[in-house]
Amino acid sequence: MEKGTTPAIGAPADVGPDAEVVIAIKDLHKSFGEKKVLQGFDLTVRRGESVMVLGKSGSGKSVLIKCIVGLLKPDKGSISVLGKDMLSLDHDELDHIRVKIGFLFQSSALYDSMTVRENLEFPLRRHWIAQEGNDRDALVKEALENVGLENTADMYPSELSGGMRRRIGLARTLILKPEIVLYDEPTTGLDPITGKEIVELILRLQKKYGTSSVIISHDLNVAKLAANRIAVLIEGRNHAEAGYDELYASEDPQVKPFFIFM
Amino acid sequence: MEPAQTPSALRKVLLEVGEVSFFTGRFFREAFRPRFEWRELLRQSFLNGYLSLPLVAVTAFIMGLVLTIQSRPTLESFGAETMLPAMVSISIVREIGPVITALICAGRIGSSMGAELGSMKVTEQIDAMEVSGTNPFKYLVVTRVWSTILMLPLLVIIADAISIFACYIGVNIKGAVSWDLFQQQVFDALVFSDVFPALIKSVFFGLAIGVVGCYKGFTTEKGTEGVGRAAHSAVVLASLLIFILDLVAVQVTEIMGLN
Repeated sequence: MEKGTTPAIGAPADVGPDAEVVIAIKDLHKSFGEKKVLQGFDLTVRRGESVMVLGKSGSGKSVLIKCIVGLLKPDKGSISVLGKDMLSLDHDELDHIRVKIGFLFQSSALYDSMTVRENLEFPLRRHWIAQEGNDRDALVKEALENVGLENTADMYPSELSGGMRRRIGLARTLILKPEIVLYDEPTTGLDPITGKEIVELILRLQKKYGTSSVIISHDLNVAKLAANRIAVLIEGRNHAEAGYDELYASEDPQVKPFFIFM
Repeated sequence: MEPAQTPSALRKVLLEVGEVSFFTGRFFREAFRPRFEWRELLRQSFLNGYLSLPLVAVTAFIMGLVLTIQSRPTLESFGAETMLPAMVSISIVREIGPVITALICAGRIGSSMGAELGSMKVTEQIDAMEVSGTNPFKYLVVTRVWSTILMLPLLVIIADAISIFACYIGVNIKGAVSWDLFQQQVFDALVFSDVFPALIKSVFFGLAIGVVGCYKGFTTEKGTEGVGRAAHSAVVLASLLIFILDLVAVQVTEIMGLN
């Protein structure tokens, strides 16, 4: 194999310019005290598309996806998800739309006091999917098969390795079959092999369920393998937006340093 | 001239009081609105009530026995030895039973709530619950606070009964009083106004333990260091609130002529 290249593991499906917009972010501002994190960020994500937000640590990437899902309230700007204005929804409406948005946390955020099965059942028990006659056990089995961890159902999160926790986190994120999935640093803290396995898994499940994705990361391997488009977050704004190859060839002095080791 | 500023320590205390009051208000707003998390309430009642029982029972037994043994010489010096069951049972039911049980629960339950919710907060489990369309305040806080409100009076009743039984043993170490006579002396001494205010008081103690433990856990910051601080400060603040509520309860029963 040629040095520095990655074997092909499939690429995200191409999305046409006419595809429905599922996330539209306009002029987003968010500050914490004196620290201005987002200063007019814009982004559009279409159905079936996978967009990566690339930025340095502390540049506000996690703040951005927490604003998208309503965990943080922006100071200014607008966020529309699946046609709903996220900033004007009440609590019940927000809960309703969150069922259609999956969120994979950097720490996996598995519930420590529950087994893997209970972690996966938790969202099912609380939403429509459990009330429509769906077989809960079958859905849990399918979710575990998707991530290749069928034998972990009765284990507690503390008994799993970092990579396994990330996979179970992904299984829990996808169990309600969301239309959009937000990934917060999906490969951070994992060795390169496990990281690549997670990216492959994300791509495979994205194709299987046709989800749209926003991936937050500073890992360029993720950018190369999993994203249709990359938005570079610099000084709180969408500084540049293009495909991997285009950004790789960019002479922009603020974009170039991201690719220095590639 | 510079405008007068509130000293920072006082400002912190006032802010904390405001935030705990707001948190308590939110509990009451959410506590009576569906959806009700019965399964989690049952689990929390088991964890906070049933699993506290051994510690409460042992402490109550020792408390009843020691109080009886230590009160005997004083009563003997007045020739009022026969008053021992009545005196000890009134002390236990009115004051010592509720307060000691609440303090034990503040230590055991308050710290565990502070640490558990604090660790859930710093590992983003609470955020995960929220983005999965579950109201974490309802699921985590309302169930825990309801469980302490419901379990504290039950634990107090059990602790009182065990302490009074220990008093019977204490009385019989140096004397000979039959169970029937002991029982009669205890129930002749105890009246409704001894039992009822004590149980009402323990409901408020339960509220204080639950609210403070959950508040400290829910507002944890600064990683694992913050988790330790949440557990520790939950016990300190809940214990302090128990004494303050006890003082208020004494004043209220005094005003109502129940003392």
